[in-house]
Amino acid sequence: MKRILQHPAPNETGRQYWRSVGELSDTPEFRGWLEREFPAGAAELGGDETSRRSFLKLMGASMALAGFGLSSCRKPEMHLVPFTKSAEWVIPGKFLYYATAMPRRYGAMPLVVATVDGRPIKIEGNPNHPESNGASDAFAQASVLDLYDPSRSQRFVRQNKLSDRATFEKYLAELRPKMAANGGAGLAFLVEETWSPTRDRLRTELQKQFPKMRWCVYDPLLSEAQHFSTEMSFGQNVRAIPQFDKADVVFALDSDFLNCGEGDLAAVRGFTSRRRVREAKDSMNRLYVVENHYTLTGAMADHRLRFSASQISTITHALALKIAAGTKDPGLSSVLITLKAPEKAEKFDERWLDEAAADLLSKPGASLVVAGPQQPVVVQLMVYAMNVALRNVGTTLLVREMPKTARAISILQLASEIDAGRIQQLFIFGGDPVYNAPRSVALDRTTRRQLDWADLQKRVPDVVRLGQYEDATSALSQWHVPSAHYLESWSDGLTNGGSHVAMQPMILPLFGGLSEIDLLQMVGGQPAPKGPELVQETFRLTNPPGDFDTAWTKFLHDGFATHIPATNRPAKFNGNTAGGVAHTLWNIPPAPTKESPEIVLVPSYAMDDGRYINNGWLQEMPDPITKLTWDNAALMSPAYAHHVGVKDGDLVRITVSEPPPPEVKPRPGQPPTPTPPPRPQVQHELVIAALVMPGHADNSVTVSLGYGRKHTGPVGEDAGFNGYLLRTSSNTHFIVADGRVVGSVTVKKVGTKYPLSITQEHYSIEGRGLVREATLDHYRADEDFVKKIAGDEELPAQLPSLYTHPPLTAPEQWGMTVDLNTCTGCSACVIACQAENNIPIVGKLQVGHGRSMHWIRIDRYYASAKPYNQDHNEWPENPEIVHEPMMCQHCENAPCETVCPVNATIHSESGLNVMVYNRCIGTRYCANNCPFKVRRFNFFDYTQRPVGKEKIGGFSVYQEYLGPFTEKGAPDTMKLQKNPNVTVRMRGVMEKCTYCVQRIEEALIAAHVRAGASDKTLIPRDSFTSACAQACPAEAIVFGDIADPETRVSKVKAENRNYRLLEYLNVKTRTSYLARIRNPNPKMPDARNIGVASPAEEKA
Amino acid sequence: MANFFPRWTNWLPLKITICGIVLISAVCGATWYYDTPKYTRVGYQPVQPVPFPHDLHVTQLGMDCRYCHNAVELAAHSNVPDTQVCMNCHTQVQKENPKLQPVRDSWTTGQPVPWVQIHRTPDYVYYNHSAHVNRGISCYSCHGDVNHMPVVYHAKPHSMAWCLECHRAPENFLRPEDQITNLDWKPDDVEPAAFVAKYGEPAGVKDDWSQKKHLTQREIGLTLKQRWNIQPPTNCQGCHR
Repeated sequence: MKRILQHPAPNETGRQYWRSVGELSDTPEFRGWLEREFPAGAAELGGDETSRRSFLKLMGASMALAGFGLSSCRKPEMHLVPFTKSAEWVIPGKFLYYATAMPRRYGAMPLVVATVDGRPIKIEGNPNHPESNGASDAFAQASVLDLYDPSRSQRFVRQNKLSDRATFEKYLAELRPKMAANGGAGLAFLVEETWSPTRDRLRTELQKQFPKMRWCVYDPLLSEAQHFSTEMSFGQNVRAIPQFDKADVVFALDSDFLNCGEGDLAAVRGFTSRRRVREAKDSMNRLYVVENHYTLTGAMADHRLRFSASQISTITHALALKIAAGTKDPGLSSVLITLKAPEKAEKFDERWLDEAAADLLSKPGASLVVAGPQQPVVVQLMVYAMNVALRNVGTTLLVREMPKTARAISILQLASEIDAGRIQQLFIFGGDPVYNAPRSVALDRTTRRQLDWADLQKRVPDVVRLGQYEDATSALSQWHVPSAHYLESWSDGLTNGGSHVAMQPMILPLFGGLSEIDLLQMVGGQPAPKGPELVQETFRLTNPPGDFDTAWTKFLHDGFATHIPATNRPAKFNGNTAGGVAHTLWNIPPAPTKESPEIVLVPSYAMDDGRYINNGWLQEMPDPITKLTWDNAALMSPAYAHHVGVKDGDLVRITVSEPPPPEVKPRPGQPPTPTPPPRPQVQHELVIAALVMPGHADNSVTVSLGYGRKHTGPVGEDAGFNGYLLRTSSNTHFIVADGRVVGSVTVKKVGTKYPLSITQEHYSIEGRGLVREATLDHYRADEDFVKKIAGDEELPAQLPSLYTHPPLTAPEQWGMTVDLNTCTGCSACVIACQAENNIPIVGKLQVGHGRSMHWIRIDRYYASAKPYNQDHNEWPENPEIVHEPMMCQHCENAPCETVCPVNATIHSESGLNVMVYNRCIGTRYCANNCPFKVRRFNFFDYTQRPVGKEKIGGFSVYQEYLGPFTEKGAPDTMKLQKNPNVTVRMRGVMEKCTYCVQRIEEALIAAHVRAGASDKTLIPRDSFTSACAQACPAEAIVFGDIADPETRVSKVKAENRNYRLLEYLNVKTRTSYLARIRNPNPKMPDARNIGVASPAEEKA
Repeated sequence: MANFFPRWTNWLPLKITICGIVLISAVCGATWYYDTPKYTRVGYQPVQPVPFPHDLHVTQLGMDCRYCHNAVELAAHSNVPDTQVCMNCHTQVQKENPKLQPVRDSWTTGQPVPWVQIHRTPDYVYYNHSAHVNRGISCYSCHGDVNHMPVVYHAKPHSMAWCLECHRAPENFLRPEDQITNLDWKPDDVEPAAFVAKYGEPAGVKDDWSQKKHLTQREIGLTLKQRWNIQPPTNCQGCHR
């Protein structure tokens, strides 16, 4: 009997999951993506520049040339090259792990780096450090690629001419007397925040030589407001550390605390630990989010309110009033007493806030209010006061003592010093101020013209730049000095929570770079240190117990110092100080309107502040929310896009103008003073592609920073638009026409289109019950709800299979689970997989053609009760988001295996669907037959030949289409990064997730080696995991042996939220998913729209 | 109508067919023979920068393989010794031997000795020495009697079929764990009584092997295979990743 597969009808639950605006409106383009295994055009040879015919011509020519090249049929002689002297611990081909840390904006991230034959190849979190617990994030994972980036600066440059280190040292020696003149009054340093105690110590020592020198810390995304507010509220040298694992109710005000790119993995882990519902009786936290654009945090929210970022003060004030009324807390009242509710503020649903406030009030000591660090001081103060009022300080919000650091000046102060001509020698460490310093950073004293950093830097006679790239800042410096990567240098750091971590080099500087510590020492007149002396000296000052050498070795081995305890300060809120400050700074701009929207500048999930611009992995990582690669865009709500008249990819011109200068009226009776020359009205302008984003606040446009940085290398040269062009010192986070510093903000359609490579419609699988979710109440009422979606319960117990399958006889059977309830979509797994498995990048054009190679993709589904209304062009205003990581499911009845004509994909005894690259002839039948669309094909020789745009003779050509006419072979440094345990695939080969088979085999071999002459060959339980699971800060991915019921993965699979995708196809996937549970507050006005299978929904 | 084709052409198709068959068979046969590792690899004996005589060091001086190849039990690669290892002895012995000049040069200059690679697995093969030598497979099984080679050559074909010969029937090659680096070991060297006392007999064997005069390789192999739970992978993932 023929069984005709009928997919269960979608929308059985009356709720729609959709991945893009195109899908919701069912555009022809989307149908194309849906119906093919690879997108249209993916299989075609031709690109924009090369047709099939011209390719054949090229090929003919190259074949003719190849005839001359048959130089040798002999076996090539290869050499084995041992060390001359043995190196400690080194066994050829074996991984060695060293603890280190990565300097980050809010504190170092503790890491463990795998090195093989002296080269670091893979980065993991430090499993022994409580703040990392073995997890890492996409930036840490990708930083190893930066180390090997061949476009990193490799030379000393003097006035844009090649120089060398000896000349630089001579120059420094000559400069020293000049610096010492007048106590160092002309000397200034512009540095990024690295939290290095050694750097701080060297700075203090330098200050003894040059007492009047200036030290400026600038990082475009480092928030002064939060630091300042914390000190105002709780005293000097403290940091507020939220404890999300203790909070039952979290209220986030424009706070993206789940963005692990900010480096706070403990927050991600803490928060998600309270969302892991093992059984129905478990409790779960609740998250309220108020934000203007969808963030990772917003995607996890139980209740989310779209609200303009510039109006967060309004809603914070309203919330604080409600909390104050509920708690009668004197500290909070003293902050609020002088603040008047703004008049022209944005309106919101009072009931929404009432119920949220009631929820917070019902959990004193177990609630938490957090605000994004970019929000103004008043918001921060109110948030701290609210937490004090809710008795959260000491429980869910710790006030941690941080080591005392010397004060630094801001870039504005430095700019005015330069403007005044007081700075003679300027040292710039890292950063790229020409690119990312605020525009109009100073006012020229004579011409009254606004100055950008580039103008200022030209006025300093001696500028020395220590930089990773010879970028725009270097071009305006007298000296460019190549900087060493953090994996190449000795240093130390403080983590987010204040613990002392070590940084040690994994490799000598590849390109002869200097570290900040080296250069500081050289400025002080000492030779650059050869080893860890300076860091050791700092460590000695912490008084390690016992023998110093032992303590130092332990410090390096563990990666962190255990003898310095973290101390928390008792909760004492300076209500009076905070109240005074709040009163002075209270100033809410008017609500943005259609005609005058707000522009919100946010960090990019891929580029951070622009420092990863030349990192191909991060460029190609789809943004977790927009799924945009290789670019940023102006995000706007469907309604606002309709107002501007743009669709995805239409260019818009954003113009921010100053208010017209006030006219100086001469006082009556006095002679008119000579008027200063008329100052031109300053306009900042940015032309950027628009992208429609459901769930975005109306009258608000979000631009992520970090793109559009030039002169850093071929990878990021054309990527995106520079949001810094709009950023001034008074508008660091949002720009709104307040009539005071900003006269008007306009967003106008330009009329041309810009190609955006968005992966959200690629590899679509429509309406198959892939994502399953419910509310907590529904789950408690019906524990097995997951089985009742998509018709799985109608499945006969055991369907017969037509094909024979190898017996699953191995003692270990591999399987995986992905918890949709804890997955934040941060994409650390995507990059971890890329680093582990030698996955190439394919370039923007190829991503646009749907040929990206990622083995894990994270599907982002919007969910909404009300579908798109095509007649009225009405969009779901506030859809929810569910992330679903999707990789090879390792089906036991794998559809791909049965169609391969050459047996290139087969099944192993341990349940892996293995891919044999050497057998693969590239028919792509397997990809065609894969119901999950997880197979990836090497359309080009990505690892051997260059990809991307290149200017050849005045024409812009995509190099991948030039085939044999491009240079073969990857740059040497890029070869060094490759994982030697994974085959580098060539053109014409299919590939996909292997469950990290190299790690499985490594563990298996290790178990057999340990067994030796015995039969104890089992792999120890949970002794290793896959790269994605290891990187995940939320522990959403669990990998292991499902034959052993005691492993973590077996226990997770036994939970009742567990479900397998497309169960009715009888493919028997090895990867399973845990359903998403939302925890809406039933009293909230929007509660009935939240969670797919909620009973209220069904009734409606 | 004139006869275009002379009479002899009648046999032409048959001749062409026969010649074609002969030619194709010859090409196939030649490829079969000359293109396999048995021909291309076995016997490969390149000139080394230092003519290191394995027979002298191992057989005459009694050095163990692992003195120089010390990572063989720990890692996938069996390392070639560092210059330092050579110099451990050769600062004392044969100090002036001109053949050792490259080693001494390496020691003074820090430049490694460029030994020529003989045994090479393709990049897509992830062979692991430690998994073999710790589990009863001798160096001899893959490298031949290196202890009698004045100059090392490629002794076995190292083709995939050759690997599978053992992976499918490891009992033909397994030996006691203390005989791994004894390249002269023969199954006859095994004392049956002691062997059975130590390892027992495979399940299902009725005879008492300890009473036998000699044990065959197969008997030894089957015992060890069961005793140590040897299950060599015959699936792709075992060697290809």
